[in-house]
Amino acid sequence: MDILPQLIMNGLIAGSVYALMAAGFSLMYGLQRFMNVAHGATYLVGAFAAYACARLAGMPLALSFAIAVLVATGLGVAINQLVYVPLQRQKEKDRALLLASFGVFLLVEAIILMVFGADVKSFGLPVRKGMDVLGAVVTPVQLVIILAAPLVFLGLWLFLYRTRTGTALRAAADNEAIARTMGVNVRAMTTLTTALGSALAGVAGILVALEQNLEHSMGLPAVLKGLTAAIIGGIGNVPAAILGGYLLGLAENLGIWYLPSGYKDAIAFVILILFLLVRPQGFFGTRRREEAGG
Amino acid sequence: MIEQYLLHLFIIACVYAILAMSLNLAVGFTGLLNLGHVAFYAIGAYTSALLAVGLGVPFWGGMLAGGCMAALFGYLLSFPTVRLKGDYLVLGTLGFTIIVEAVLKNWASLTRGPLGIAGIPKPRLLGLSLSPLPAYALLALAAALLTYWLLSLVVASPFGRTLKAIRDDEVAAGALGKDTFRAKAKALALSAFLAGVAGALYAHYITFIDPSSFSITETILIFSMVLVGGTASLLGSVAGAALLVLLPEPLRFLPIPSDIVGGMRQAIYALLLVLVILKRPQGLLGEDTLRDAWARARRRRKGA
Repeated sequence: MDILPQLIMNGLIAGSVYALMAAGFSLMYGLQRFMNVAHGATYLVGAFAAYACARLAGMPLALSFAIAVLVATGLGVAINQLVYVPLQRQKEKDRALLLASFGVFLLVEAIILMVFGADVKSFGLPVRKGMDVLGAVVTPVQLVIILAAPLVFLGLWLFLYRTRTGTALRAAADNEAIARTMGVNVRAMTTLTTALGSALAGVAGILVALEQNLEHSMGLPAVLKGLTAAIIGGIGNVPAAILGGYLLGLAENLGIWYLPSGYKDAIAFVILILFLLVRPQGFFGTRRREEAGG
Repeated sequence: MIEQYLLHLFIIACVYAILAMSLNLAVGFTGLLNLGHVAFYAIGAYTSALLAVGLGVPFWGGMLAGGCMAALFGYLLSFPTVRLKGDYLVLGTLGFTIIVEAVLKNWASLTRGPLGIAGIPKPRLLGLSLSPLPAYALLALAAALLTYWLLSLVVASPFGRTLKAIRDDEVAAGALGKDTFRAKAKALALSAFLAGVAGALYAHYITFIDPSSFSITETILIFSMVLVGGTASLLGSVAGAALLVLLPEPLRFLPIPSDIVGGMRQAIYALLLVLVILKRPQGLLGEDTLRDAWARARRRRKGA
């Protein structure tokens, strides 16, 4: 059997999750203007909340997922209100926000570890035989992941580009001052993007939980991949970040064709450092001098 | 028994104090948000351990080699990263940490991968073994004091003032004719050298290292020490290191399972980090606290 279709399919599966994370990052970066590492906390909580509802409390899957997305959204908004909003007043707020988001992430990770323990958990969906799709073996769950992500993106696009609120949100991200003079409530928009971004992370967490084992340590790699994807695409530009996610997934999975699979995680960061050096604005981004290197 | 335990904590605190002080040179004095510090620590530890176990190189040579190797990587890392600003620098250096971790785990023929390196010999001085705890504690103390002394000389020197100028206004420092790129590269190399020395000190004390001792979480721990103590304050970094090493220790005596203890340990320093950023952004002993206190006192006198 030829291995290329399988690697591409694996790339699409990983890419779907990275794209969801990157879309959330990008949305929030537009208004918050810092890399919100606590995005990984909402992802982690989404995954574990779904697990707790479905496996520990025995709720139906659909209800569990709805609750998990709500919990992730609530957590994201709470972090914003309790930590980021007060920090906006500080003198060195860029550094403070970034490091505080790291702190919040580690705190949530620690709480997950204490509540659920360090052992690996599994959603334990019945194992079904993989199907043959375009020359690659894909399990039903993987197919769900590949199809769910574009549906979410379609919904996001309709909201951002086809509703008044979406337009206001994009305006606020584009130019806060002008949006404010046009009567956009920037503060409400920030809360809304945080909610949306966190919901996306929650969805990503659930999808990963369905397919892979759950571990308390799975948050940080997801954050870093999401961030890398957002930067590869062009941070602050949601469609570009989504493309970046798929590109990263493909690059990683095609990369292990040549490299030992243990280096899979490192591939992303080699790509990241190359991008930071050569094209800090990303594939599709436009350069802003104050953000990129001088 | 209790003395052994206290000496152990003292040695660990000294190692972290060196790490925090050297990180502070980059973060607090130069304004480089470097999340790659733990990679330098790992490089120093692995270099020294491999030289000792594989080639029988004595501790002192290994420590020096570990420091130099880390400095070399620090210097090399500065090329792609010091042109970057803010978030991008953070991400670039974080990426470096992850790449180094992946190499340690996967280049098994050199690093023995996840199995780690065991049986790292304890150092000897003038024919005497430094393996008894009090002797090693003295060694660690001497290293921490030397680091403090060296870094206080550096930050008070013209070079140190250049670094602070870069931190406060890089464009202005450049306009005054300072080669800001080279100054930052040198600061990063020196910071890395000291982290490498700390790595050797740790490796030859614990006598066993594996990639899990040098994870990203460790980077954030060292960063928290700097931030809690106060950026641009060497004494602050020492205090931050001591505080964060000692604070979770009482957990050890509680009858709870070990993964819960791990979680609580992390929760404590994460919470402390967030609280310090929110409530006391300059840290416990930050540079501007005295000035702030002075200003407050003056305001109060005027008000009275």
